[in-house]
Amino acid sequence: MSDRVTLASTTRAEWIKFRSVRSTLTGYLVTVVLTIGLAALITSAIRTHWTSTTELRRITFDPVSSSLGGTLFAQFAVGVIGILFITSEYASGSIRTTFAATPRRGTVMVAKLLVLSATTLVMAEVVVLAAFLLGQRIYQGVVPTASLGDGAVLRAVLLGGVYLTLLAILGFGLGLILRSQSAAISVFTSLLLVLPIIVIILPTSWQNTITKWEPSALGRAMMSPTPALDTFGWATGTLVLCLYVAAVVVTGIVLVNRRDA
Amino acid sequence: MIRLTSLTKRYGDTVAVDDLDVEIRPGVVTGFLGPNGSGKSTTMRIIMGLDAPTSGSATINGRRYHDLERPLHEVGALLDAKSVHPGRSARNHLRALAASNRIPPRRIDDVLDFAGITSVADKKVGGFSLGMSQRLGIAAAMLGDPGVLLFDEPVNGLDPEGIRWIRELFRSLATEGRTVFVSSHLMSEMALSADEIIVIGRGRLITQGTVGDLTASADGVVTVRAVDADRLANAIEVGGGHVERRNDGTLAVSSLNAEAIGRIALDAGVALSELTPRRASLEEVYMDLTADAVEYSSTAAPHE
Ligand SMILES: Nc1ncnc2c1ncn2[C@@H]1O[C@H](COP(=O)(O)OP(=O)(O)OP(=O)(O)O)[C@@H](O)[C@H]1O
Ligand SMILES: [Mg+2]
Repeated sequence: MSDRVTLASTTRAEWIKFRSVRSTLTGYLVTVVLTIGLAALITSAIRTHWTSTTELRRITFDPVSSSLGGTLFAQFAVGVIGILFITSEYASGSIRTTFAATPRRGTVMVAKLLVLSATTLVMAEVVVLAAFLLGQRIYQGVVPTASLGDGAVLRAVLLGGVYLTLLAILGFGLGLILRSQSAAISVFTSLLLVLPIIVIILPTSWQNTITKWEPSALGRAMMSPTPALDTFGWATGTLVLCLYVAAVVVTGIVLVNRRDA
Repeated sequence: MIRLTSLTKRYGDTVAVDDLDVEIRPGVVTGFLGPNGSGKSTTMRIIMGLDAPTSGSATINGRRYHDLERPLHEVGALLDAKSVHPGRSARNHLRALAASNRIPPRRIDDVLDFAGITSVADKKVGGFSLGMSQRLGIAAAMLGDPGVLLFDEPVNGLDPEGIRWIRELFRSLATEGRTVFVSSHLMSEMALSADEIIVIGRGRLITQGTVGDLTASADGVVTVRAVDADRLANAIEVGGGHVERRNDGTLAVSSLNAEAIGRIALDAGVALSELTPRRASLEEVYMDLTADAVEYSSTAAPHE
């Protein structure tokens, strides 16, 4: 076996680094608590008020996305995990040790992305499935429920995990470009929270076209078993979000190869 | 062996390293000296492939850092002791480095022990004193048992015991045939631990040689005391010496040796009451050399 530094050996190193700081565990715990906790809260509230819910609301009601509502908060937790995984290296200066050990910076970034996305995907899928199942349990007997046996439902739930993973990668990419934790967190939150608010100020005709391009609207498209009127379909939504994330990450990798460490 | 060829690095308008051409040989400790901001750290970062040179190149055993297949086996570096994630333990820091370069895990215990930090190996690095961080940095540098070692101001934060330890470490690493390149802005430190010295100022090479070469090349100052100091001072200046009057009434004469001054005094008929030659200390040589460098570059005069 060769003893060269490769993507495999660098990925092992990044896995050790990822596991050995507390912020990773904290971030995932917050993700679990937010996703599952909010699923319990939201679905219980819907169940309590179901009898007084209007007919129109009942017809458009979606038991899947309503049980996954926590992801819209958990996305900040996974985003911060991605941001910290790279900006903490710049803050401490350990990025220099990292690049001394693996001089090919693209390899380092791919290794980090493998570790981040694999861990986040596994964790997020477990969490969205748990949130979904908990929600359906709470709905049972009162509110219409959905079943994972329905292909569209299973797809929507699983894409919830994919959505969280893509946002973790987005955070990482922003961190790589900005190299500062606070700057990356500001931009990340702006994209998810402030952008939609700015759009609301715009004329209605513009709103309809712009809104569906927002990351959070793409998330809604991904997590909805049936196509909604104001969003893309799930496939287009997933594709557009992947393109955003890829553009940010590729920009980051181009920059890291050009800049002094 | 480290080789710098016409190495130049600019940050905007700042020229951090200016056309540096040097070779750092194995088997000796090479001191890298220069005042604050003279470009020592920048040079080391370029050697490590962290900063890209504006022009010229830095190679290790004939290859650029970027092209090393197992960098930690060839080069070990301590650039900044505090550059470890504060929330990670020393052992995990070393485990990650070892994994990336396929270094056997047992080597981690060896270097922890070697650096004397086994007892704090599982503590978070954020709580380490500067001296402990330096020791961890040295452990990390030794992890791959490399033939080339770079240390940027390694003595910072070490206690006297640590300083003695590190000096002996440099010596033994060099004796084993490794290339040991150590920066400092203190000549006194380098005089004790280095065999060869490279002095830079404002990014330029000022001089390079053994510690002996440097002191030998320097002009000594001769202290002269005479009853008629004024007349003697004139005579010395006419004779080609440079005179400075000290407050205690003595003359500090440079550019002439004691014998020449004695002859001038005899010719001028001035009685001497003291004639003391003194060889400049390495520290003074260094101050002189670097002061010159600052002058040269502030007038932007071309300098080879
Ligand atoms: N990343 C950077 N961006 C801009 N200027 C820089 C950068 N790094 C170094 N410099 C400048 O380059 C010059 C050389 O700095 P360097 O840190 O290499 O000096 P040094 O010899 O290591 O100094 P010290 O003894 O203080 O550590 C300084 O003028 C410094 O301000
Ligand atoms: Mg420095």
